[in-house]
Amino acid sequence: MRPKTDLDYVELYAKMLKEDNSLFKQQKKLIESQLKSSSSLFRNMFGKADFKEKARKYIKSISS
Amino acid sequence: MTQGYVLKGDLIVVNRDLTELDLFLKDFLNVLKKHTDYLVVSGFVSISAGRARGTEDIDVLVPKLERQKFGELFNNLQKAGFWCYQGDTIEEAFSYIKGMNHIRFARKNEMFPNIEFIPIDRSKKAQFFEFNHPQKIKVKDFEFKIPPIEFEILYKEIILAGKKDIEDARHLRAFFSDMLSKERFKEYENVIRAELR
Repeated sequence: MRPKTDLDYVELYAKMLKEDNSLFKQQKKLIESQLKSSSSLFRNMFGKADFKEKARKYIKSISS
Repeated sequence: MTQGYVLKGDLIVVNRDLTELDLFLKDFLNVLKKHTDYLVVSGFVSISAGRARGTEDIDVLVPKLERQKFGELFNNLQKAGFWCYQGDTIEEAFSYIKGMNHIRFARKNEMFPNIEFIPIDRSKKAQFFEFNHPQKIKVKDFEFKIPPIEFEILYKEIILAGKKDIEDARHLRAFFSDMLSKERFKEYENVIRAELR
């Protein structure tokens, strides 16, 4: 059956991954690329000297 | 072709390389395990089984700790290079734990990924149940504990039920289709439905 919805694609991918672990390579790239981007974004925003203080202020500002 | 996972007795062995996200969790658990038991739950369970999506946090259930035990853990996490969003002192962080609120830890000079540290006790029935029915899973040399797969699927479908959760559950159903048990689904559904009452 041809996948139509997002859920169909999720299922198809999981079935393929179950039979062929080479697809894990793509997942690793996706995860690590997201982590790298996020790390670079927040280092640029907050610097290193007072990272925690700036990070906490930022968290408060987005949660209030 | 190598299969995505194999079952070795009670242990699920996922046939993939470790990611930076795994290594982050591994470093955290190496400290945590010296102080208390734990269970890794939610999104990371699906991701560790290959779900292709990003995440910013890893949820870890931890039994509610007394002040002294928590203090020792907190100090050792700081020594290992983690910082706590909620404060730099034991008192600040413990005030959250005391009220059964979640706290977060990340690596020094990083916001993400982070560990969402979730205190649990008997009052949180479903979480307490999964905590006491751990499933071991291994990726390369990294072995850790997650809920039974059937429990995780039902929790996502019934309790969480957002789009991402439904997709995670569908992924788990398809990826682990060979090992899922109807009997366990039935047993766990009763536990999870009780949470809604």
